[in-house]
Amino acid sequence: MTKPAHARAPSSARVGIGGPVGAGKTALIERLLPLLAARGFSLAVVTNDLVTKEDAERLQRGGLIAPERVVGVEAGACPHTVIREDPTLNIEAADLLEAKFAPLDLIVIESGGDNLASTFSLDLVDYWLFVIDVAGGDDIPRKKGPGIVQADLLIINKVDLAPHVGVDVAAMQRDAEAVRGGKPVILTDCRAGIGLDQVVARLAHDVLMAE
Amino acid sequence: MLQHGDSFFPSGAVSFSWGIEALGADGKISKADDVARFVRQQLKGRWATSDRPVLCAAHAAGGDLDSVLTADRLMEANSLAAEQREGSKRMGAALLNIHARLETRGAKDYQARLRAGAAPGHVAAVQGFLWHALGLDADSACHVAAHGLAVNLLGAALRLGIIGHVDSQVILGNLHATIADILSVPPAPLHELHAYAPAADIAMMRHETQDSRLFYN
Repeated sequence: MTKPAHARAPSSARVGIGGPVGAGKTALIERLLPLLAARGFSLAVVTNDLVTKEDAERLQRGGLIAPERVVGVEAGACPHTVIREDPTLNIEAADLLEAKFAPLDLIVIESGGDNLASTFSLDLVDYWLFVIDVAGGDDIPRKKGPGIVQADLLIINKVDLAPHVGVDVAAMQRDAEAVRGGKPVILTDCRAGIGLDQVVARLAHDVLMAE
Repeated sequence: MLQHGDSFFPSGAVSFSWGIEALGADGKISKADDVARFVRQQLKGRWATSDRPVLCAAHAAGGDLDSVLTADRLMEANSLAAEQREGSKRMGAALLNIHARLETRGAKDYQARLRAGAAPGHVAAVQGFLWHALGLDADSACHVAAHGLAVNLLGAALRLGIIGHVDSQVILGNLHATIADILSVPPAPLHELHAYAPAADIAMMRHETQDSRLFYN
């Protein structure tokens, strides 16, 4: 086997969004798309729907992005595999979007839903977010799964639900920060728009080099 | 050979069931014997008479991508069901993508043809010329491809909950004889390319409009 050639031509940034089913990954993308577009970034999305095409179709029909800029990749019942051990179909989908809509600034690759052990291949993405929500339990950060610990940015979503599920959000944030070695944690409520500007600013600074 | 025949190699195969998802949903495949019969028929009725001749022709092209393209286009013309045809091309594109990054000889050139719409990129054609470039002889390449398809189909059946991990190994072990039998005779010439797997073709046609889609086909 010859030496791997990881370098690809100068291109868009690729950002992975992982996290458990129901944590709010698609809702987060829906809220980020207009905010990123308002800053002048050209965007596309790859979704890895687990069972249906619902996430891809939700984004395509939502009016937030041109439908042809959203493509779905079936995960074959292995959502972890297609973002980590064998991301070739996702890479090919992103490459095709990039060729079709060049110049793109950012391609978002949404996982089909993970457990806390999932990570993204760094040959697939340049940066990745892991989304959890307060309703999943305030002990999630303390479990120190690779998703919680290794993600470039951890989002704790649905903070509006905290009083209803008996979760101390501040303690949950402290626990998350304690296991992440200084990497950022942002609290969000996608329905009310809380924390989204922070997420956009972080992406703009860390990924898009715009700030 | 071990590296490229291993399911650890990122080929994109995990996203394809080649009809098993729809047949399972319809109750047409519900137990280990059904799966064994289906995989055997895919090997004998499609792979042996369609994929194998294309793979061998692409391998024999010796790096001449125009000759690879001839075999590739014949596969395109002989692939009836849309999800079979498109799935084969998506797997071919995924395999080319990883080999382009690994700098396997010819991968970037043929990928450029795909991107320009000048080549279909069916997986059998892509396997044939890539594995030739990597030094696999034609017989080894055929063994890798046939084993890979069998593992791909059994993996899909396992993940759909139709068979367990023990059954999958029993079936795979029994398929060795089928693969050996197929490979005991020379590949058919390209002009005799054909496939007969109507249950899988119909299943993939029906799969196009089904709501539940763990797999592409």
